[in-house]
Amino acid sequence: MKATARILHACAALLAVVAGPALAQAQDDYWFTRSTTIIPHVTGDKYFSNTYDDWKDEASIRRALAAGKQSRDVNFKDFRWMEKSFDAMVYVDEGKDVFHKKNDAGQSCATCHGENGEKLKGAYAKLPKYNARVGRVLSAPTQIRTCAKDRLNLDYKENSRPNSVLDLYIATLSDGMPVDIDVAAPGPLKDAYEKGKDLYFKRTGHFHFACASCHTGATTSLYIRGQRPSTFFGDAAHYPIWHFGFALPGDDNASIFTLQHQIKSCQTLSRMLPGEEGSPSMTAIEVFLKASANGYRMSIPTVEYNMSSDYLIKQSGQAK
Amino acid sequence: MSCNTFATGSIGALARFVAASLAGAVLAACATPAPPAAPAPTLSLEEKHQRIRANWTPGGPDFIPADTLTMFPCHSEELPCGKMAPPAVQKVDFRGPVKGDAKKGEAIATNIRYGNCIACHNLPNGHTGGTIGPSLAEYAKRQMPVDYTYQRIWDIRAYNPNAFMPLYGTNAVLTGQEIQDVMAFLELGK
Repeated sequence: MKATARILHACAALLAVVAGPALAQAQDDYWFTRSTTIIPHVTGDKYFSNTYDDWKDEASIRRALAAGKQSRDVNFKDFRWMEKSFDAMVYVDEGKDVFHKKNDAGQSCATCHGENGEKLKGAYAKLPKYNARVGRVLSAPTQIRTCAKDRLNLDYKENSRPNSVLDLYIATLSDGMPVDIDVAAPGPLKDAYEKGKDLYFKRTGHFHFACASCHTGATTSLYIRGQRPSTFFGDAAHYPIWHFGFALPGDDNASIFTLQHQIKSCQTLSRMLPGEEGSPSMTAIEVFLKASANGYRMSIPTVEYNMSSDYLIKQSGQAK
Repeated sequence: MSCNTFATGSIGALARFVAASLAGAVLAACATPAPPAAPAPTLSLEEKHQRIRANWTPGGPDFIPADTLTMFPCHSEELPCGKMAPPAVQKVDFRGPVKGDAKKGEAIATNIRYGNCIACHNLPNGHTGGTIGPSLAEYAKRQMPVDYTYQRIWDIRAYNPNAFMPLYGTNAVLTGQEIQDVMAFLELGK
C-alpha cells in the first residue's frame, strides 16, 4: 500500500515537473476557466455549467423539478423566479418613501422621475451604463448617489441605507424585463465589460482565489462553506436581493444586498481586499456580471440563494 | 513559477532523480522569452506573518483586516496591489517527522477564520464539510508521504496549478507549525 502510494506520488511529482512550466506560466494569476468561451449573454452558461436548459424559463424549471432535480441543479432559479421575498417588501416600501421624500427645497426623486418612478420603468435592466456627465460607467448605487447629491443635495453614499432601499425600489420597477447591457458596441461600457471579465478570473487575496474559483461550471451543485455557488450567468438579473442580516465592517444596513455589496461580501469572505463600492474596478465586475445575464428576465425582490424556506425543508428532508 | 524551483525543490527520491535527468530540458524550456519579470516581493514571508498576526488573531470573531490584504494581489485599480504579480510558487523541503498537535489542528481546520479546510473537505472525527474538495475523512489510509502532504498544503501549485486550495504557506495563512498541527489531525482519519 505504502509502496503504491509512493509510486503514485512520484508520478504526480514527475507530471508536475514535466507539465508545470507549460501550464503554470499562463495560469498562476488567472483561474483556468478564463480560457473558456465567454459571451455577454445568459446563454453563455452552456460553456460553463451547461445547466441553462433547466432554468431558461418557467416551463423548463417546472419540467426539471418534476424530473426530480433540486434547486441547486436549476441554478436556484426556481425560487428566484417563482417566489418573491416578503422580507424584502418592507424595504421596497421604505425605498418608495425615500423616493418621494422631499428635501428642504421641496424636491424629491419623483420630481424628475415621476410619481411612483413612472419614468424609471425598465431603467434598471439597462444599468450599469455610461454617464456622460460624470464621464465614466456607473452602477445603480453610484448613479443614485450622484443624482441625489447633484439634484437634491442629499448625501446617499453607496450602501448607506437610503441608497440601498432606493436601489431595491427602482429595481422593482424593472421586474420581469430582460437584462439589456449593450457591450457589443465599442465604447466605455464594452471596455468595462472586458476589464470586469479580466478581474473576475484574476486570482487575488490571502487565499489566491478568483471570483471564478467558486462561481464556475466545475463547482455547480457542490458545497463550499455550507453553500452551493451559483454560476455567474443570469444571477445578476435578481439583484439587489434580500439577504439574512449579515453586516460587513462599516455597514449600516445588513439585509439589502446590491450587486456591489454582494461582490464586496464575496471578497471579504474569501479574504480578498474588499473593494470600494462604486469604484471603477467594482463597477467593471458588475458590468461583466450583469451583461452575463443579458436576455434573462429580472425578478425583484427575491432572496439570497440557499435561503428559501422551501429549499431548506427539501434539504433537511433529503438528509433523513 | 520560477524556473530554478524545479531544480532545487525536494519532491521525493525518484522524482529528484528524474528532475536531475530532466534538468537540461527544463532549463532549455526556461530559456525561451519569459513574460515581463514580476517585481521582487518587498515583504518576506516572515514579515507578512508578522504583519497579519500583529493585527489579527486567526480563529477570532473578526474578518482579517483589509489593510493587511494589500500585501496580496487585489482587484483595485488605484492601489499598487492591483498590479502586483502573483506570488511565486514555493517549493518546501519537509522531511518530517510531523510534530503537531491534533487537537490544535482540528481547531484550525474547522474554524472559518483560521484554516477553514472544512469549507471544502469532509474531515476526520466526523466533520462533514464541503464537497468541492475530496473527502479527507480517511486521508491517513492513503499513507501519503509527509513531504507530499506538507507541500500540498503549503503551496498546492507545485502539483496542480489549477487547484482550488489556498496557498496556506506561501501566502502566510498558516505557519509551518500550524500546518503540522493540521497534518497530525489528518492522521486521525484511518
